[in-house]
Amino acid sequence: MTDVRSEIAANVWKITVEVGQAVEAGATLAILESMKMEIPVEAPRAGTITEVRVAPDDRVAEGDIIAVLD
Amino acid sequence: MLPAVPEPTSAHPAATDDTWEPEIAELRRREAMAQRMGGPDKVERQHQGGKLTVRERIESLLDEGSFHEIGALAGRASYGEDAELSEFTPANFVMGRGRIDDRPVVVGGDDFTVRGGAADASIWQKQVYAEQMALELRLPLVRLVDGTGGGGSVKSLDTDRRTYVPPLLGWQYAVDNLATVPVVALALGSVAGLGAARVVNSHYALMVRDTAQVFVAGPPVVARVEGEIAKEDLGGAHIHGRNGVVDDVVDTEAEAFARTRRFLSYLPSSVHEVSARGEPTDDPERRDPWLIGAIPRNQRQVYRIRPIIESLVDQDSYLEIGAGWGRAAVTGLARLDGWPVGILSSDPYQAGGSWTADASDKVTRFVDLCDTFHLPVVHLVDQPGFMVGLAGEQAGTIRNGVRAIAAIHQASVPWCSVLIRKVFGVGGAGHQSSSRLSYRYAWPSGRWGSLPVQGGVEAAFRAELDALADEDARQARIAEITARMDAVASPFRTAEAFLVEEIIDPRDTRPLLCEFANLAAPRRQAGPTTRSYRP
Repeated sequence: MTDVRSEIAANVWKITVEVGQAVEAGATLAILESMKMEIPVEAPRAGTITEVRVAPDDRVAEGDIIAVLD
Repeated sequence: MLPAVPEPTSAHPAATDDTWEPEIAELRRREAMAQRMGGPDKVERQHQGGKLTVRERIESLLDEGSFHEIGALAGRASYGEDAELSEFTPANFVMGRGRIDDRPVVVGGDDFTVRGGAADASIWQKQVYAEQMALELRLPLVRLVDGTGGGGSVKSLDTDRRTYVPPLLGWQYAVDNLATVPVVALALGSVAGLGAARVVNSHYALMVRDTAQVFVAGPPVVARVEGEIAKEDLGGAHIHGRNGVVDDVVDTEAEAFARTRRFLSYLPSSVHEVSARGEPTDDPERRDPWLIGAIPRNQRQVYRIRPIIESLVDQDSYLEIGAGWGRAAVTGLARLDGWPVGILSSDPYQAGGSWTADASDKVTRFVDLCDTFHLPVVHLVDQPGFMVGLAGEQAGTIRNGVRAIAAIHQASVPWCSVLIRKVFGVGGAGHQSSSRLSYRYAWPSGRWGSLPVQGGVEAAFRAELDALADEDARQARIAEITARMDAVASPFRTAEAFLVEEIIDPRDTRPLLCEFANLAAPRRQAGPTTRSYRP
C-alpha cells in the first residue's frame, strides 16, 4: 500500500481516478488548485487505487493523503 | 582492522647509536595507538550502528593517501612506574589537511568511539586549530560531525568543583570562515548542542538519513520538558530536510562525501580567488528542440523546471541544493561552457512557484553563497508573486521575501535573468537588481504585470459583472474581458516599449547563457564581500 500525499496546501479541483482503477506510474490521480495553477497529483508507481480520501473543493494541507495505491 | 601497536623501545639511545631513531620508534608507536581510536569494541559498535569511523570517513572523503594529520599525539596518557607510556586514549577529534580533486582542504571530524565524541574527552584546541588553519591558509573546511554538545556531562561539576559560563571557544574563526572559505558540514550521527551548531554554521550542511539526527538538545533533556521522544522523531532527516536546518539529506555516508566533493568543485578555495573553469564538456551552441514546447500554452498548466535547467547548462553539471525544503524556489550550481554559475528558479508544482517564507529564506542563502564566492547567477524567472493567503501572512512571507530581494540587490556578481513565464507582484519585480544593467531575456511564454489578468478581471470589473444576474452570462463576460486583456498581454507589446529588452527563441537560451558566462568570467572580482555571510 502506498499513500499518495499532497506536496502542498491547496484546494482539490478534480479527482481523475476511481477506486478499483489500475493506473500507470506517473498517472494523474487528482488535480489540485493553488495560486490559480492546476497542480496534478501523480501516482508514484503503477498500481490499483484502493481509496480516494478527498473530494472536489476540499482544502488539503501539505502531507494530507489524497489516495491510496495498492 | 585496527593496526597493531609496536612494542615500546627504550627511549635511551645506546652509546653507539648517536641518532634519534628510538624517539622516532616511540613516535610511530604513539601514532599507532591514536589509529586505534576508542579500541576494537567501540569501533565494532560504530560499524554496527551503520557508521564509519572518523578515520575511515576522512579516507573516503579525501583524495587517496592525501591526509596529513595534525595532533595525532594529543590525548590522555597514563604512565607506568617506569615512566613508560602504558595507556593512551586519543582526543576524540581528528583533523589535518588533505586534498579533494587535487586541491588542498582542511578536514576535522569527531571520533564517536571515544566518549561518544563528547567535548569533555576532547582537547578543544584541536577543533579551534582546524578552524583557524582553514581561515589563515584560505582553504575549504569540511566538518565531519558525530558528537554531542560542547559541554561535558553534568558529572564534571563533581570533579571541577565549580561551574562555568559556557564559552564558544574559537567561534569567531567559525564565523569568519563563512565569509572567507567554503565550509561544508556533515551530520553523521546524533548531533546535539554545539555539534548541531557546527553543522548549521556552514555554507552546505548535509545529514545522513536514519543514522544522523540533529537537535538543540537530545531526548534525555527534552524528556524533562515535554516527555519521552525518540531521537529520530525529534531530529531526524524528515524534520531537518524539510525546514532548511540542513541543505540536503543523503542516504549513505559515501553519498555525503561525494556530494561534498562535488559542491566544492564549483567554488574557489577562498573568497580571495574566483572559481576555475572546468574543462568544457558540452557544445555551447547546443539548442535542444523540445524547449520550444517546454512551457504549456495553457497558463494554468504546470511544467517541470528541472529538465529545462538541465537542458540549458553543461550536460550533467547541475547540482541542486536544498531540493527538500523551501521547494517553491529551486537553487543549484552548474557550469556554462565550463564556468561555474548559480542557477535560481522556481517550481510551478509548488503553489505555482510562489515564493513562500521558507522559499525566500532559501533564495537569500543561495544568493549570498553565490555572491560570497563570486559565482555569476542565472535566474530563470517564473514568479507569480509572493505566496498570498492567510497561511502566507502567518508565516511572515513579506519579511522573508523582501529580505531575499535585498540579497538580490546586495549581490554584485554578474546576473542574467531569463523570464520564462510569469513575473507578477513584488516577488516578481524583485527578480533582479532594479539599478544594475538589466541583462535579461524573455521567452514568448512570458506574462507579467502587477496582477495577473485572471483574478484581476473579477476585481477590476466587479460592478459590471455584479450587474449580470445569470451565472452563465457572468462567466461569458469574464471570458470576454479576459480575452480582451490577454490580447494586450502579449510580450511583443512590452518589447515595443523596451520594457523587456529581448524576446528570444527558447532554443537559443543555452548559447546566450554560455555567452553570458564567458562575458561574466572576467567581471568576477576576488575578495571578501562587505556584507559578510550569516548561516
